Order: sequence, then structure tokens, then C-alpha cells
Amino acid sequence: MTDLSPISALGHAVPQAVRIGTLTITENAGLALASLALRQGGGAPQPFGLPLPGPGGWANAGATSAFWTGPGAWMIEADGRAEDDFASALKAEAPGCSVAEQTDGWAVFEIAASVATLEALLEKLVNIDASRFVPGSALRTGLEHMSVFLIRRTEGQLALWAMRSAAGSAFHAIEAAARRLDVA
Amino acid sequence: MLIPHPLLGPRDAQEFTYLGDASLLNRPDGMAEGALAAFCDYVYLRDNPAGVHRELWFHEQGDRSWLVVTRNTVTHEILGAELARDVALRRQK
Repeated sequence: MTDLSPISALGHAVPQAVRIGTLTITENAGLALASLALRQGGGAPQPFGLPLPGPGGWANAGATSAFWTGPGAWMIEADGRAEDDFASALKAEAPGCSVAEQTDGWAVFEIAASVATLEALLEKLVNIDASRFVPGSALRTGLEHMSVFLIRRTEGQLALWAMRSAAGSAFHAIEAAARRLDVA
Repeated sequence: MLIPHPLLGPRDAQEFTYLGDASLLNRPDGMAEGALAAFCDYVYLRDNPAGVHRELWFHEQGDRSWLVVTRNTVTHEILGAELARDVALRRQK
């Protein structure tokens, strides 16, 4: 029988983490992702009791969160369910909606730092207004020619979903920018 | 250049892809009388105004929506932006 050993998006046996002063960048291999889209004329469901956020928003209820990706479309995150069939569980919670598994297409990095450091990092990495990107915001933008989702979970916590096939490049981009910040 | 996205607020124009004249939304009926001439105009003929122009922009590195952006081609001033979906639905009514 073939002996296969699972690896994380960055190609290692265990998820990677980097600490630069007070700033940490952590690969979160346990977070499941699935997309949810309304069909024409269908109403918005409340999967797992989660109110789906409006444009540019991120909402959290317990171990499940959702962020807006387009009109009538959201991504749903679930803590610790990356190895389950989370999309099927979501499909059961959202009858009449289109649900697709996304965990295998994306890799997420959690960045924790002080507010000033996070905003300085955002200003280095992406062309968005960091002061308007308040907790509970999520958006898609370009980062070094890669399409990424950014989520401001709290004042000091930022999540970045990058394409899994470019996870190494995205991690390198964040780490290189963070090292140039001069974080104490 | 910033594009005032109707849902997301001002966003960098680098996130968008330009498609061209918003008259592309007015696709002629292929089964109607004179469809050949109408399609010839639709595919090949464009106005090239020095001034206010309505254009289609795609928010590729964003929410993937199509916008109709009204722009002054002389000054590059952007006078407004709305979802192409809303424009098309309004025309159908």
C-alpha cells in the first residue's frame, strides 16, 4: 500500500509559524472554507445560526464565520474542520443554495500584532485604505499580483486567504514586508 | 485612479480590468429583421468621444462585479459608477 504522509499548504509536516518581534504569522491548517451562493429569487439562509454579512463584511458566531465575496455570495469558515466534509454540512444548513468546497484551493495565514503594526503592514502589502479596514471587515484585493482575501478579525488580528498553489509566495511576501517594518 | 465602487467604496483602478464601451450591454436580437447589419454595427462600430464616456469595468481582483463607469476621457474625472447588472435590469423593464 502506498505510504502517503499529509503535508500543509507550505509543504511541511506541521503548519509553519514565524515570530518577528511582537508580530506573529501562523499558517492555520485547521480552518475549513466553503463558498455559499444564493440562487435566483432565493432568500439568504442563516447557516449554523450565522447572520450573513453585507458588502465588505465579516461575521462570526462561535466556531463558524462568514465573509462577503460578491452580491449574494459568501465564503464560510469553520474552525478545526479542514479535514471534515464541511461543504456537505453547510449544504444541509443552506437548502436551495449553491455550496462548493474551497478548503483545498486556499491557504490561510493568521497575523497577530499591535494595531499600529498591522496597519503599517497593510499599507506595505495592499492598496487599500487601512484606516477604513476596521474589525469585522473583509475584502478581496491584489497582493503582489496574487488575488487574496483579507479579514480584519479583531483590532490586532488579520487573516489572509491566499491561493493554495501560491501559498509559499504569499507567505514570503508577508514575511518579507513584516521584517522590513522594524517591529520591536 | 480610484473607482467609486457602488458597494465597496473607493477602490484602486489597478484591481479592475477595462472592457470598453458600455454599449456592449445593448446586444441586438439575433432573430430580428436586419440582424446582420445590427450585429455588424454592434461588433465593429464604436463612438470615440473626447468627453463623457460610459465604460464597462470588471472588478477582477475584488468582488468580480461588472460596473458601468461614467468617465470623462479628457480629464479622467470619474463621474459615477453603478453595477452593470442594475443597468441591464433597468433596461429590460
